[in-house]
Amino acid sequence: MTTPSISSAQAPAATGPWMIEAIGVQKRYPNGFHALRGVDLRVRRGEVVVIMGPSGSGKSTFIRTFNALEEFQEGSITIDGTALSNDLRNIDLIRCETGMVFQQFNLFPHLTVLQNLCLAPVLVRKRRRSEVERQATALLERVGIAEQASKYPGQLSGGQQQRVAIARSLCMEPRILLFDEPTSALDPEMVGEVLEVMKGLAADGMTMVVVTHEMGFAREVAHRVVLMSEGRIVEEAPPSTFFTNPQHERSRQFLAQIL
Amino acid sequence: MASHPALKAIRRELFASRTDGLISLGLLALIGASLLGLLRWAFLQAQWVVIQANSTLFAVGRYPLDQQWRLWLLVALLAMASGLSWGLLRAIPRADRSGVLWPLNDRIALALLAFLASWAPAALGLSVPLQARWWLITALLLAIRWSAGRWGRRLPPRLLKLVPLIWPLLYLLGMALISGGLGLVRVPPSEWGGLLLTVLMASFAILASFPLGVLMALGRRSELPLLRWGSVVYIEFVRGAPLITLLFLGQNILGFMLPGGLAPDRVWRAAWVLTFFCGAYVAEAVRAGLASVPAGQQEAARSLGLTVPQALQQVVLPQALRIALPATVGQFISLLQDTTLLSLIGLLELLGTARTVMANPDFLGLTAEVYLTLAVLFWCCCAALGLGSRALERRLDPTHSPA
Repeated sequence: MTTPSISSAQAPAATGPWMIEAIGVQKRYPNGFHALRGVDLRVRRGEVVVIMGPSGSGKSTFIRTFNALEEFQEGSITIDGTALSNDLRNIDLIRCETGMVFQQFNLFPHLTVLQNLCLAPVLVRKRRRSEVERQATALLERVGIAEQASKYPGQLSGGQQQRVAIARSLCMEPRILLFDEPTSALDPEMVGEVLEVMKGLAADGMTMVVVTHEMGFAREVAHRVVLMSEGRIVEEAPPSTFFTNPQHERSRQFLAQIL
Repeated sequence: MASHPALKAIRRELFASRTDGLISLGLLALIGASLLGLLRWAFLQAQWVVIQANSTLFAVGRYPLDQQWRLWLLVALLAMASGLSWGLLRAIPRADRSGVLWPLNDRIALALLAFLASWAPAALGLSVPLQARWWLITALLLAIRWSAGRWGRRLPPRLLKLVPLIWPLLYLLGMALISGGLGLVRVPPSEWGGLLLTVLMASFAILASFPLGVLMALGRRSELPLLRWGSVVYIEFVRGAPLITLLFLGQNILGFMLPGGLAPDRVWRAAWVLTFFCGAYVAEAVRAGLASVPAGQQEAARSLGLTVPQALQQVVLPQALRIALPATVGQFISLLQDTTLLSLIGLLELLGTARTVMANPDFLGLTAEVYLTLAVLFWCCCAALGLGSRALERRLDPTHSPA
């Protein structure tokens, strides 16, 4: 239970079942680099967890293991009760339930905005196109770009593209959303519009794990902030404690650098 | 002083300084003189009778006269399919574009077609019924282009999706019409010739080498070592040998390797060699396209739950092939020209036909007329390929969007 005093944008404390359970995750790259050195993280339904840390600390690698974009050698990851195994069908199943938003948006440039949203629900979920298009239009309205539906991603600004990317993930109706530095590639004036969308999702109770350096977002929306360094979790605390009274020397150094 | 903007532009472009002016005048004189010489030769000295008398030979070789109605039927069907596709392409523009029913290019094409239909048959000295057939076929094309453009939007989407299928079906039907079968008299490949054989060889090799090239490119990037090394060995072997040696090899080796009767006909052997040759080059073009698609595209597709084949088919390949398109079409254009090598293994395609015509005592010494005609024919085919490829590139380019 988190304290209700932090901020109004924050969703009520999460008490639901575990949506993500990562235990002792270790990853070594083929070149020998030890990226993750035994990371534990558990996230409840409706919880927003922000992961921070210097570059190379393994935070992106870590959340990319949740939907098997990265393999790991030791430890276990359970997503909504399903353990990640090497079985391809199991991986595809988990990917349907976990949306991911990337730093570089990774929209499909050869498809219109609407086609970007509809591709996976029609192909993977086998839903009717007309029904998916209705839902996609509603989602585009929700992220504030309904009028761009027939444009191509290259014709949109970075902020608009990232909002399309979020809508594309939502169109699969995932139970978890992973954000891998969603605002790092944006011009400063476009960061706000993307964060607004993310705040809205958090308020609606979406389970979110967000790798970001946006302090304001972390302070306002996160239930927990996690600091990673050199492949380990150094500190894990509610934002009120994390930003005002960090317990570890490494956290104090990191905060001093980015503040 | 020159005040008209066009005159000003000419002055600025060509006569900016004294040296510029001298160079421009010199070049203009050179161009004018050679053009004049060419026109004088073409209209006063050249004996175009060699082309007129052999026009059927150049077109279809020794294809039996009583079976040529099949080719006319095929040409008419092709014209109809072209008109339909052309019209629908204009009637249903890309989602983000407004689209004009008759853009400038189309009006130019229209004028060109009308001119060709009225001039070429007459210039070739065809009989009036034959001329009338060409007029009719052109009129058919334009009429269908007009109606498809006008009413294409009203067709149900389900039907519109089937339209592209016309082309592969027409190709198969065309093969049947040309070679026989389906109750038609068989015309063996040895009787095909001229432009018919050239176009047939080139189109077969283009159509078959494209999927082959894509598969080889994927194989070369595969994680399965056997597939990867197989592709590498194939691509590097073919790219390391001149086409003419492969053609001779194909004519001989297939005969030794396969039991008699199983080995395909000489013409088909050559077609397969062309296909395998072109496939290796297409593979390299496609590989470059695949390499230029960012890894994030595959990751985004996979993170949405698409399977590997789905991600490849829906996300990676469409982008890779668009990037590979110019290089691939470049290969197709050189393939079209490489079909002339078939004359060296005794096939009577355009160049082979031309050589038999020039060896005919009646037309001795008329080589310039024949070669010029051949050059123009090849230039037209290559220009059509190039124009088509550039139009396709523009249509597929998601960043480029004129009105």
